[in-house]
Amino acid sequence: MSNRVYEILFIADPNLGEEAVDTLTEQVQGFVEKDGGKVERVEKWGKKRLAYEVHGHREGYYVLLVVESTGPLVKEVERKMKVTDGVIRYLTVRVDEELRKAERRKARRALADEKRKSRPGGAVPARSEEVRS
Amino acid sequence: MSSENDNRASGESSEGSLGGSRPAFGGGRPGGGGGRGGRPGGGRGGKRYFFRRRKVCKPCADKIDHIDYKDIKLLSQFVPERGKLLPRRMFGTCAEHQRKLTVAIKRARHIALLPFQGD
Repeated sequence: MSNRVYEILFIADPNLGEEAVDTLTEQVQGFVEKDGGKVERVEKWGKKRLAYEVHGHREGYYVLLVVESTGPLVKEVERKMKVTDGVIRYLTVRVDEELRKAERRKARRALADEKRKSRPGGAVPARSEEVRS
Repeated sequence: MSSENDNRASGESSEGSLGGSRPAFGGGRPGGGGGRGGRPGGGRGGKRYFFRRRKVCKPCADKIDHIDYKDIKLLSQFVPERGKLLPRRMFGTCAEHQRKLTVAIKRARHIALLPFQGD
């Protein structure tokens, strides 16, 4: 099964306190690693105000995991998060393709900039010569 | 044969220079100004491009390679107070970026980074 990169962003209950959120994060990491997934990066954004009320919460503790795994595994992780207390909202997004595209776009832009620099001020000549003859 | 070719070539290049509209550039060409003037088709369409400032797609202008749902600073520029998604004529975004923005905003809403409904 092909491995893909996913971002798992979830909101933890802010009433838990810092330590409990850490253990919760480890728990979710465990879900991923148990069946052959790989956690590449963990970002803790800290407590943030929610844009709207979710299950009576106005604040939430955001945690982002960047994960390399397969589709079915992500599905399973989602199911587990749904039944885990303390996770009030989650979102998983597949990002590998988009990141690759962005990378390519960046490279192409760098190349174009390079080209523009190497021929100073000469946009017109070749074409207009052709037309005139 | 060759004259036909020439015509086509000049027509193409005058098309290419539309956006820039540099006077010196267009003036040097035989068909440059004329072809453009005939295009709007009298009063039929009634399109008045000339009076309105052309909007530029912001993600294109800022050379943003990837529109991220986590980037609320960027996204919130495209969400008005009320929180609704607006058609791209409001912001002048290109089709590609409008599409990506829409998806990103919807994701951000789900994870409570942006409101579904503002005040």
